Amino acid sequence: MKFVPGPNKDAPEPVLIYRINSAEESLLLAMLRLYPVLENSYHRISRDPKAAASAEQRLLEESMAQQRVAHKKKVEALFHTPQRFFKEALGERHLVLTAAQLEWLLQVLNDVRVGSWVRLGCPDLEKTAPLNVSRASARSLQAMHICGQFQLALLEAVK
Amino acid sequence: MPQISAPITVPDTEKEQKPKSKSRPDRGYLVICWNDPVNLMDYVTHVFQTVFGWPKAKAEKHMLQVHQNGKSLLVRETFEKAEHYVHQLQSYGLNATMEREE
Repeated sequence: MKFVPGPNKDAPEPVLIYRINSAEESLLLAMLRLYPVLENSYHRISRDPKAAASAEQRLLEESMAQQRVAHKKKVEALFHTPQRFFKEALGERHLVLTAAQLEWLLQVLNDVRVGSWVRLGCPDLEKTAPLNVSRASARSLQAMHICGQFQLALLEAVK
Repeated sequence: MPQISAPITVPDTEKEQKPKSKSRPDRGYLVICWNDPVNLMDYVTHVFQTVFGWPKAKAEKHMLQVHQNGKSLLVRETFEKAEHYVHQLQSYGLNATMEREE
């Protein structure tokens, strides 16, 4: 997937266009089907152990839960009306996003990435020690890396 | 994820320039982003730019602090604003917390 720079004068609002092939499109949709992966309890309002049972902690978890419900609806809308996002132009397949759609797509992909990392046991990926990968954990590892690649491709538009 | 127990220090650049007065709201809450090995550097920079409206250079500076020092103090704010920022940062999956300034 690659960002296509340049103004898009025909669009009713500014949009970001990415060239995407059919394999990438299938892979992106497969990643979005995994959403949500991260548990609401992952989020911590403070490192103070006393905050774990606080009203603020509860509010944060409720807020994250509400956001996941809202994002899930957006993901489902993408599956129900893919033509809103994927378009043919000049013999190419394009992923077309508004700035707001870019933001929620980044959040959704990062949820899958971080959630997959948590399922792997939060390994320190910067260390050189090889991971013990089972068939199940291989899926999490793949999802983590694929989401990361899509995130980097999406971020090309805002660099 | 690395657990960092070092005391929280406030960078000079973030210090308040004006003297405190009784009428000012209590900006004694620190919003801190902690390092983790999973969030991508470009992504963290983008989130800082989006949430705080910072220019890229400032966002990158804080991202590198997180990466190299294990954490970065992002803002010192009132309770409500600090809580708002933590919600925003966590909605992007960043490891951000609010801590009472000692």
